[in-house]
Amino acid sequence: MIRSLLETSAALLAGAPGFFPARASSVAGEVDRVFGFIFWISLFFLVLIVALTILFVVRYRRRPGREEPELTASHDTRLELLWTGIPLVLVAVMFVWSTRTWLEMTRAAGSDEKPLRVQVTGRRWSWWFDHPGGKGSEELHVVAQRPVELVLSATDVIHSLYVPEFRLKQDAVPGRFTRMTFTPTLAGTYPILCAEYCGTDHSRMLASVVVHPDQRSFDAWAREGLAPDGSLVALGKQVFAKKGCLGCHSLDGSRRVGPSVKGLWGREEKLVDGALVRVDDEYLRESLLKPGAKVVAGFGNLMPPVALDERELQALAAYLQSLGEAP
Amino acid sequence: MSTAVAAAAAAPAPAVAESYLSHGRGPRSWLLSLDHKRIGVMYLLAIGASLLLGGVFALVLRLNLWRPEGGLVSNDAFNKLFTLHGAVMIFLFVIPGIPAALGNFVLPLQLGAKDLAFPRVNLISFWLYVVGAILFLATLVVGGIDTGWTIYPPYSLESARGLGILFALTALFVVGFSSILTGLNFIATIHRMRPPGMGWFDLPLFLWALYATGLIQVISTPVLGITAAMGFLERIFHLGLFMPEYGGDPVLFQHFFWFYSHPAVYIMILPAMGVVSEVVSVFSRKPIFGYRFIAMSSIAIAVIGFLVWGHHMFVSGQSAAASIVFSGLTFFVAIPSAIKVFNWLATMYRGAIVLATPMVYVLTFFAIFAVGGLTGLFLGALATDVPLHDTYFVVAHFHFVMVGAVMTAFLAGLHYWWPKITGRMYDERLGLWSSALVFVGFHVTFVPQFLAGVAGMPRRYATYAPALVGHNRVSTVGAFVLAAGLCLALFGLLRSLRSGRPAPPNPWGAASLEWAAPSPPPWDNFERTPHAPPGPYDYSGLRHVSDEAGWVRGEVSR
Repeated sequence: MIRSLLETSAALLAGAPGFFPARASSVAGEVDRVFGFIFWISLFFLVLIVALTILFVVRYRRRPGREEPELTASHDTRLELLWTGIPLVLVAVMFVWSTRTWLEMTRAAGSDEKPLRVQVTGRRWSWWFDHPGGKGSEELHVVAQRPVELVLSATDVIHSLYVPEFRLKQDAVPGRFTRMTFTPTLAGTYPILCAEYCGTDHSRMLASVVVHPDQRSFDAWAREGLAPDGSLVALGKQVFAKKGCLGCHSLDGSRRVGPSVKGLWGREEKLVDGALVRVDDEYLRESLLKPGAKVVAGFGNLMPPVALDERELQALAAYLQSLGEAP
Repeated sequence: MSTAVAAAAAAPAPAVAESYLSHGRGPRSWLLSLDHKRIGVMYLLAIGASLLLGGVFALVLRLNLWRPEGGLVSNDAFNKLFTLHGAVMIFLFVIPGIPAALGNFVLPLQLGAKDLAFPRVNLISFWLYVVGAILFLATLVVGGIDTGWTIYPPYSLESARGLGILFALTALFVVGFSSILTGLNFIATIHRMRPPGMGWFDLPLFLWALYATGLIQVISTPVLGITAAMGFLERIFHLGLFMPEYGGDPVLFQHFFWFYSHPAVYIMILPAMGVVSEVVSVFSRKPIFGYRFIAMSSIAIAVIGFLVWGHHMFVSGQSAAASIVFSGLTFFVAIPSAIKVFNWLATMYRGAIVLATPMVYVLTFFAIFAVGGLTGLFLGALATDVPLHDTYFVVAHFHFVMVGAVMTAFLAGLHYWWPKITGRMYDERLGLWSSALVFVGFHVTFVPQFLAGVAGMPRRYATYAPALVGHNRVSTVGAFVLAAGLCLALFGLLRSLRSGRPAPPNPWGAASLEWAAPSPPPWDNFERTPHAPPGPYDYSGLRHVSDEAGWVRGEVSR
């Protein structure tokens, strides 16, 4: 036992092996470089402080022959400005570098390639991933080098999706959608952990993300074992019909009491007060709960609130999206 | 000649009143005392008990983490233990620790005053603290709470949580008022009761620190009270404030919570910095370097500390603009801390450094606070916070600041003022050994947690990946070394009550006014309001007579 402890301590001191998890997303390398920059600056100041402390104690310890301190100035404005200015410059560099990296980490996936959009649901104590094409799974499946956009929500309490190998984490909050974008780079399987405390089995709310080497391998997985009608889109279609949405919102673009839902997703709509709004999950959620909040110009405020659970809401979003997106 | 001086200094002046410890007997004379010194001592006992309790919880947690699959206690019990560990340590030990216990005792003495401005308010504040503490423990009777000390909804306010959360919210509300009243009392006292000749820049820096702390307590703690009240009402009446199912927003709660709880970190660390400023100057036998910069950096920390709460929420879904602004402001708060550290080091430069226990604790404070502060940079930076948020890196970071730095400074202050509080000298050898054990134990406990966090171990995990077993075992061993160090410190202090030699009025040769009073001070502190000393850190007129007589101010120069 003692030997294993010593070995572990030695490995910890040696640092390097296993210090960071593998770098499996496009931003992981840059995050680690920011980490390294802050680390070396911190280490420099730590060593400076400890070395000065030890040096002063050794040299200026009170002892026979050194009963009294030497007379020195008790303030020095230039010195104060120096040790205010240098840290200020260093933290400014940290701030700029880190913020630029973070903007890269949170940027919506580039328009050059359509991102793989996955709906994520956190619940006690497992994750559920609805992939495009209707395949739902407790594992997240993505493709190497293809941008991914996760839309997260939670059905009960706050959870947080954390993939150490991607250097990414995002809370899933009940009652709203949050977003996480990334591009996996390294095919393989990595752990997904829940990072926001959520009760009894918080530490066992584990899943994994499978990064397929190419699209073909992903597609093969996505088709496998899929019931023809079991998809999120199919559920959304049912919800749309069951809640009577068709009464006011046409599927073919024709005008009824409310706007048609054809080609609605992602469209910029002009509201009665002249503001513009993009139709996305958040707008959908708001319009179902508080239909009067953002009424499209040219239509009356007639719609009653519609109560949906999280899954129905996601399904509806997927269904509306399947009807074609605005360019 | 020197024996004559010693005898003259040692002989008590005939008019000195009896010590506060013997003035009035029986439990009522303590429990209902309006004397700031007795209230300070009662606080000391209460927070000591809280530290012990919180520490025992921590050791059970560490033992459960010995094995990756846990199993010593159930997951639910683990969750309840870390909740109470956090709540007890933060609300009952670290926040009131230095200000309410040491501050209560020392503040009026440093001003040459007979008491705080509002002695009755002070007593109320103590009893509110006790009521709050009892309410926290009452949660155990109704089954405990497992929400984490941060009590985030929706989890915390679900009806399945039972009565415990209502007790805890009430406890927060009550303890909050205790803290507000103490802060108010300190601010009023420092404004109104300075002795003749003591301007703002003649205050000991401990008082500047307590003043800045008081400002934070008075401004931010009401928000905690309001948040607790809102949580209480939400839970009972379903108002739709924080719970999505009633139309509320759980992230709003996080904003309210951290608007108090981040400044609360500075309620903890500022008084600790105040203790360090006193000790480092006295034991270097030199005036503090850069007095005004240290004083103003306390105020700067208090002000900037109010503007950084959003850095707890970088992955909560708050807007990108908010995250960037909060990140930038967070970096600013590093600057006043850096200023303080360099000024302390400059104070030691060419001094005559005395390695007594308080000073050794302060020297370890430098290293620990440096790590605690510098690792904060990783968490203020957006890019690195995203992977590190809610991992053991954060746990290690705030334990370095709140346990390492604050507790080390608390122990430094406790040893420093112990002769004044009890009239006894503690055993120097035991004190030095305890500081060494605390230092080693602390690092063995928390350094591996940084590494576990970088490797991706989230906090509040009752079980973990087997690959991290080494980190966790080293940490558990360290926790027991740390506990042994604290027990040794406690033993050394308690033993001095029985066998310590009587303390002279000024055993350290300090210049601030509390050392002008006898040890322990009489119940009314000073017979006459003393005049301010030439400066709080002017040691030029002080001479060391003997260990028994301590240091005296005399005109005789050697």
